[in-house]
Amino acid sequence: MIRRYQNTIFLTLLLALASVFSVADAQNAPEASEEGKRVYEKSCAHCHGTEGRGDGSAAENLLPRPRDFTRGLYKIRSTETGQVPTDQDLFDIITEGMPGTSMPGWDTSLSANERWEVVAYIKTFYDGFKENTAPRQIDLSGKIAYAEQSIETGKALYTELGCVECHGNVGRGDGTSAPTLTDEWGFQTWPANLAQGWTFRGGSETEDIFKRFIGGIAGSPMPAFEGDSFLHFGLTSEESKRLTELENKDEMTEAEDEESAAFYEKMDAAVDIALRITEGETLNAADRQSFNNAMKVVYEKSWHLANYVKSLSPEKRPEPAIGNNALRSQYIGGELPTLGDAAWETLKASYFPLVGQVILEPRQFNPTIDSVNVKSFYNDNEVAFLFTWDDRTHTTASEDEETGKMLEDAVAIQFPVKVPQGPTAPKPYFLWGGRLPVYLWYWKASAPEQVTELTAKGISNAEVQAVQSDLQAEGTYTDGQYNLWVKRALKTDDKKDLQLEPEVFVPIAFSAWDGANGDVEAKRVISSWYTFVLEPVPSSRRFIYPPLVALLSVGALFGLRGFARRRNS
Amino acid sequence: MKRLSLFTKCLIIFVGCWVFLRFIVGNVISVPIPGSVVAMYMGLIIIAILVHISVEDSRFREFLRPIHETLIDDNKRLRRRVIAVLIPFALLAYTYSIFAQRANPPGNPRDAHPSPPLELTYKDEVIGKMQEVENPFRHYEKDDPEAFKAHVENGRRVYYQNCFYCHGDDLDGQGHFAPHLQPLPANFQDPGIIPNFQESFLFWRISKGGPGLPAAGTPWDSAMPVWEDMLTKDEIWDVILFLSDYTGYQPRTFGEGH
Amino acid sequence: MKTYMLACLALLLACCYVMPTLADHHEAGEMEMLQFPESYKAMAVSNGGTISGTVTFEGDVPEMKVLEITKDEAVCGLTEKHDESLVVGEGNALKNTIVYLIDISQGKALDKKTKPEIDQKGCKFTPHVQIVPVGVRLTMLNNDRVNHNVHIFSSVNKPVNKQQTKNRKKMQLAGVKKAEGPVQMKCDIHGWMSAWLAYVPHPYFAVTDEMGKFTLEDVPPGTYQLGYWHEACGTNSKEPATVTVEAGGTVTQDFTLSMKKM
Repeated sequence: MIRRYQNTIFLTLLLALASVFSVADAQNAPEASEEGKRVYEKSCAHCHGTEGRGDGSAAENLLPRPRDFTRGLYKIRSTETGQVPTDQDLFDIITEGMPGTSMPGWDTSLSANERWEVVAYIKTFYDGFKENTAPRQIDLSGKIAYAEQSIETGKALYTELGCVECHGNVGRGDGTSAPTLTDEWGFQTWPANLAQGWTFRGGSETEDIFKRFIGGIAGSPMPAFEGDSFLHFGLTSEESKRLTELENKDEMTEAEDEESAAFYEKMDAAVDIALRITEGETLNAADRQSFNNAMKVVYEKSWHLANYVKSLSPEKRPEPAIGNNALRSQYIGGELPTLGDAAWETLKASYFPLVGQVILEPRQFNPTIDSVNVKSFYNDNEVAFLFTWDDRTHTTASEDEETGKMLEDAVAIQFPVKVPQGPTAPKPYFLWGGRLPVYLWYWKASAPEQVTELTAKGISNAEVQAVQSDLQAEGTYTDGQYNLWVKRALKTDDKKDLQLEPEVFVPIAFSAWDGANGDVEAKRVISSWYTFVLEPVPSSRRFIYPPLVALLSVGALFGLRGFARRRNS
Repeated sequence: MKRLSLFTKCLIIFVGCWVFLRFIVGNVISVPIPGSVVAMYMGLIIIAILVHISVEDSRFREFLRPIHETLIDDNKRLRRRVIAVLIPFALLAYTYSIFAQRANPPGNPRDAHPSPPLELTYKDEVIGKMQEVENPFRHYEKDDPEAFKAHVENGRRVYYQNCFYCHGDDLDGQGHFAPHLQPLPANFQDPGIIPNFQESFLFWRISKGGPGLPAAGTPWDSAMPVWEDMLTKDEIWDVILFLSDYTGYQPRTFGEGH
Repeated sequence: MKTYMLACLALLLACCYVMPTLADHHEAGEMEMLQFPESYKAMAVSNGGTISGTVTFEGDVPEMKVLEITKDEAVCGLTEKHDESLVVGEGNALKNTIVYLIDISQGKALDKKTKPEIDQKGCKFTPHVQIVPVGVRLTMLNNDRVNHNVHIFSSVNKPVNKQQTKNRKKMQLAGVKKAEGPVQMKCDIHGWMSAWLAYVPHPYFAVTDEMGKFTLEDVPPGTYQLGYWHEACGTNSKEPATVTVEAGGTVTQDFTLSMKKM
């Protein structure tokens, strides 16, 4: 118990301390100093470059690229669009890092003081920080609680505002514009997979998401919801709903035409006010009031949308399939469920994180596939697996411009040919075997109903097995996600195949290729060895022996009392 | 205050020791002790208690008295009934948990100090005996600080172009690829790493990587690449200089004992 | 052996010469920008002259690249789209070249009433190059009934990235404060869409038409540097043309451009 809460207690204390400090000396970094330069050059320059141009020696292989500080474009801010971040924003990013990128949190390796010095130093790279006015911060006070109704409203907005174009129908970053996006510097960039909140650069709390909408993600293709560009700016929610109805009609009657014209007039007036603000004009009270009213609607809608986005991802990254979370194939009598069977919904998936293959050339430094989720059932003769992974693009065959190689989405599931006996017995090398061979199931998107058995003794030493077992497979791609169902007999006649039996822990590992990310051959994402087991049917003895033991103990207690009594008398 | 009975004292010592070993040592003082070790200590404590109470007949009787009273005294009826329910229930729960327990996958035992070969090689070229080879650029540290600095800088470049993905920006083994690897990448900020090894050993581990580990012993799953395929000899020596320069730890030299 | 060493030495020396020039080339980014006068004073011009001319392209005209339409084919794919970075017409006339006076410090007032527009039709920006006076709003039209986003990669002014949803036929962008150009405009949703803007502080800017023709009117008499910018052919900022305008007169200055070296 204590152990479970000690982190929470510790964190609470730390937070309390931090809040005391943040009142005392946060918000504003000190003047730039030699100390800041020293820390920057030791800890930051290798990625961000000595002159802050984002061109350090490590930059070339990183995507997203390290930030170029000279343009003053910061993605993660608590400030409105077009504004520089606050000192606290910069400090927080340095402290916490940016999930899903190579930017680590520096809380353990740099003292708070050093981090503030770095903030001050980074600001010297961009003149915009010298303006004396404090950046306008996003007002978070109107937060709308996370609730069913709000999520529903947000879902409708998600389509209306065009989020689908990049982030896809259900938010897996698979929108039709996803493959062509570039950032301000011309480097390729992928839209966030909203189903993986743990990769959100600026955090996955509703407030974080809201801030990204209102402030935009500077330097990326993500637009900000500046009032005047917002859908139906200047209309109330009801008016906006009505106008959407009208706009979606193919033909409008004369009355409807007039009705919508009135709406547009109202919107034009509101936009004019917003533009005057951007252009630096000081507004009179009436205009200010109508602008605030219009912005209130924008903020409300953004909160709904933030709640919807929040609902798309699990609260946190699932635990990897090690220890108690190991993949356990569940026994069922009778036929194994096929792809799409509701029975799969009853299982909790095991989560296998994947990582870029950077061991052998050609290497994948910027993986796009985060993980594979796996479920499994078995019966007396067969085992069935359901492999699920997110891939923003469906690539069945596309020629790589540089190498001329055919790029294609694919996956390989790897087992040892022989299960190592005992924990100290050697396993094959986790990267497609070596001295000891591995047994592989290889599947590619262009042949979704076929799994090929391979034997490999190294990443470039794999061969298709001469004897192919009777493997059944079915793969689908929908909304940025692959589902691959594979079924095989527990035992085969082929000596090169893995033979399965219940209760034996079997090593399992994965390779996956995202064709659109240039994955081909050794360039891929991989996992190291995990284990899975055909979970034995729980012994029915668990209902017999424990009550028996309890009964016996009652008897023993009575016996003891009798014995003591006799001794006494 | 009433004096505590011998039985209560023993009970307090027993429970106290268990709490100390299980929670205080593990969570406050140092790392958790494995369950089997705790069980062994507790066994010793039971033996000690048994020895203590059975030294004299009178003490043994004193120890048994509260048990005896609980069993038969009329005014201890409530306590008796509570115990008669608690003990069987505890046993029921415990035995059920044993029968319902799921098997856990085998762990990954790992030898932290694989033994290196006798000869240090780069690709097929023999550099020298493992116990003798020194970093050819180390002497610049004293002889030519400028040249030394240049080598360290080159090592820094090599590190951040190749190694930091796993071993981390701060050389703490917490690179952005690290959480996905089993075993975890080495943490060079750990005082148990660099000061314990000679530079020739580090060269060997870097150049031959995971696949170069000796077959003997344990199932190596190290994701460490075979860097001699991708880096030059000098680059490896330079990156070793950078590792010790950044962390402030000096690798072992041949004079020192281990 | 000696010749070897000499050759090596020569090579080394050559390297020493080449390296700095390479570095210079790297700095070329600066030279790609339009040049603006430090200050500009508006005044009445009554007897101004006219500068006109034709811009032609010299060299092999590469075939216009057909743009790959990767989405919204029903709207965007109706007509074949071409990369408009180099549009060469009849007689090698070069379209979309900005021709302007570099060093003019006074002249007619900037027309703040003008309403520059860029239309998004068939998932293409029209025109491809647009002049926007400082402080004047640019109107974006969406005649496509698909979602677009207007992303302007400013670095002097604040960058702009606004969603223009499918039902929003008209969207105004705030006037900018500082002169800047050329600035690229893109639509991230349709990655092939590209246009160029110049936010200008004085009215002596023109964009060549299909015939490669430009005209600058009401130029106060005097001698000026005449500059150009073209997306594919670069600028003449290093060696601008010099023109002398006489009261009420017309001078002709033609340019012949070729592809800028990569």
